Amino acid sequence: MSEQHVQSVLHSAPGSGAELLEELGMVLYVGAALIFVVVMGLLLHAVFSRRLRASARAWVIGGGIVFPAVTLFVLLTYSLAVGSAVSALNSGTALQLLLNCFGIDSNARIPPPLPGTLRINVVGKQWWWEVRYRAADGELRNVPLANELRIPVDEPVELMVSSGDVIHSFWVPSLAGKVDMIPGRTNRLVVRTSEPGIYRGQCAEYCGGQHALMALYVVAEPRERFYDWLRNQAQPARAPTDPFLRSGYDAFMQGRCPECHTVRGTPAEGTSGPDLTHIGGRHSLAAGVLKNHIGTMAGWIAGSQDVKPGNLMPDSEIHTGSQLRALAAWLESLE
Amino acid sequence: MPSWIHKPSWVHKPTRKIVLLVTGAIALVLFGALGAAVVLLSGAYSTAATTQHFKITHRLLDAGLRYSVRASASDIQAPILDEPHKYEQGAACYRLHCAQCHGAPGIAPDEEGRGMLPIASNLAQSAREWPAEWLYYVTKKGVRMSGMPAWEFRMSEESLWSTVAFLTRLPSLTRAEYAQLSQYSAQLECESAEGAEMQASEDRTKIVFRQYACHSCHRIEGVVGPKSYVGPALVEWSHRKYLAGTLPNNEENLVRFILDPQAVRPHSLMPKLEVAPAHARQMARYLLELE
Amino acid sequence: MSVTARIAIGWLYLVLCGCMAPEGYEPHVPEGDPRQGREVLAELECGVCHVIPGVPGARGRVGPALADYKRNVYIAGRYPNDPDILTRFVRDAPSMSPDTAMPAIEMSEAQARDIAAYLYSL
Repeated sequence: MSEQHVQSVLHSAPGSGAELLEELGMVLYVGAALIFVVVMGLLLHAVFSRRLRASARAWVIGGGIVFPAVTLFVLLTYSLAVGSAVSALNSGTALQLLLNCFGIDSNARIPPPLPGTLRINVVGKQWWWEVRYRAADGELRNVPLANELRIPVDEPVELMVSSGDVIHSFWVPSLAGKVDMIPGRTNRLVVRTSEPGIYRGQCAEYCGGQHALMALYVVAEPRERFYDWLRNQAQPARAPTDPFLRSGYDAFMQGRCPECHTVRGTPAEGTSGPDLTHIGGRHSLAAGVLKNHIGTMAGWIAGSQDVKPGNLMPDSEIHTGSQLRALAAWLESLE
Repeated sequence: MPSWIHKPSWVHKPTRKIVLLVTGAIALVLFGALGAAVVLLSGAYSTAATTQHFKITHRLLDAGLRYSVRASASDIQAPILDEPHKYEQGAACYRLHCAQCHGAPGIAPDEEGRGMLPIASNLAQSAREWPAEWLYYVTKKGVRMSGMPAWEFRMSEESLWSTVAFLTRLPSLTRAEYAQLSQYSAQLECESAEGAEMQASEDRTKIVFRQYACHSCHRIEGVVGPKSYVGPALVEWSHRKYLAGTLPNNEENLVRFILDPQAVRPHSLMPKLEVAPAHARQMARYLLELE
Repeated sequence: MSVTARIAIGWLYLVLCGCMAPEGYEPHVPEGDPRQGREVLAELECGVCHVIPGVPGARGRVGPALADYKRNVYIAGRYPNDPDILTRFVRDAPSMSPDTAMPAIEMSEAQARDIAAYLYSL
């Protein structure tokens, strides 16, 4: 997956639901274009031809009844097939999906976990994503993360999406279609891909001032690497030994940071902001807005209201220059 | 004009004359502006202090100064000045701050004071001709484009009047008497300004910035000065997160830095300007209001 | 030169440009490519902290605005604004000014030169 096509419905990941949707879309575009060309051809023929040999009756029956009936039948069959393939990915029957739409199915509110499937809870918040891994494995039962998803390749992953405030929509165009994140409701989306890579997602439902700056990355990795990563994510942060990093840790704890952020393994246990236990290893800061390095980290801490005005994180305001650098360096060391 | 349009009766000769006159006046103004631009751009106007003014320029400027001072000083009421402790104190101030440019009875101005244009006036003469209130006003406020600084920000109110008290006696001093008075006041200090300004207005703060020469290094929003790039531009300052690249930008830290830059950053090129704490606070508040 | 001649030259000035006196010192970074520098500034997202004309989205106000940088007399209030010093500072500010808020950002020497070249081109 090349860097430029990290977020594109026209460049879907192999083996993903988006690939089926892309194919469906293509068939519809091409088919519609063909029909358009044929109709236009007939129109021109009717206008310019000296003698019309065909009978009107044959045209009405052929072009007005048979052709649409056949075309629509073929398309319907095809799109049903695609739909059932997508819903097979979602491990539900088409009927169940229909029932879910109307909330008739009693299981619709919180669908039961699919057996043996990795389940990730994603909660949309203004303007970031809270992520929680719920692997079957006891050790990895409840790993809170933020603003980045990692998934193993060639394995369906069940995303349980909901919202903590207003309606958001989870959309990673290269992986799957959109699913709304609705307060008080949990929607299910199963994603899979066979190609390792980085895919970008974007909130697709206007959710307030910084809606445009609410993005995330989905990193697909080979199974082995993925589980190594997840095991690492489950670990608490290690206490810094280096004196400079230590001063960054102190700056974090003395500031207002712990009121909102959790760094597992430290006294910081705030819950209104993203979990920072392994923030140094993420691809982006501020929910897909900034690249992640010490410079952007320092800039985000000191000037978050300039980067993303109105977000809940205030500018740090109390750290001196060297404290800010140490703080950024310590957070970057949390991989 | 087509023949079917009848000339209204008011279009006649005198109107045409007025039109001609107005056009002529506009042309003259434009021509004058063009001439001024040519003189400016050609560099024909000399800015050297060795090139003297035309006599008329000098007289005009002189008269302008008198009229301006007379108008501005009309509300000032001098206290009783004829008290020995006042002019002794004033002698100290004069020796420390004035004699460098103005000289003293039998003593020439220092080298810096000799090459100036306009030359600093001899105050023995000024004090004969000018009332005390005028002297006070000029000492306090300075004279623009002349090299005379405003002492308001460097001398206390009391010292200003003491200096004026001394000035009023200056015409009557012989060389020996000045030397004696000067020696006598050698132990005395000239009290510097207290800087306590309780009702600091925005205009007042702009004066404060200029009087500490801040604008010689910083471009400051609202303060007219050189386009200086020595220190950072002080614009939109309330949005800045850090001051001097290191301290969180808030009122307390700004005051701290203005009062003693080296205490915050030992290697900073910003000098310590002996800013009065009240003035530092005034500056900090002004900066933090810049959106 | 006589005053008349000067006035004649003044006319010429008016006709030719009618503007200001010639510029002074122009800092130059050897082997620095301003266009590359702009890309590097965007790539490293320096705009999180600085206003940088010509770099999209660079409107941070944590550090100083970098417009007109070539005219600045000093760097970080401490060093003369000279191409070599700026190149070093861009890469590793803390080693030169330990109390600065600007972290050392990973980049190559060539990238730092390009950035300096771009800043001087503003």
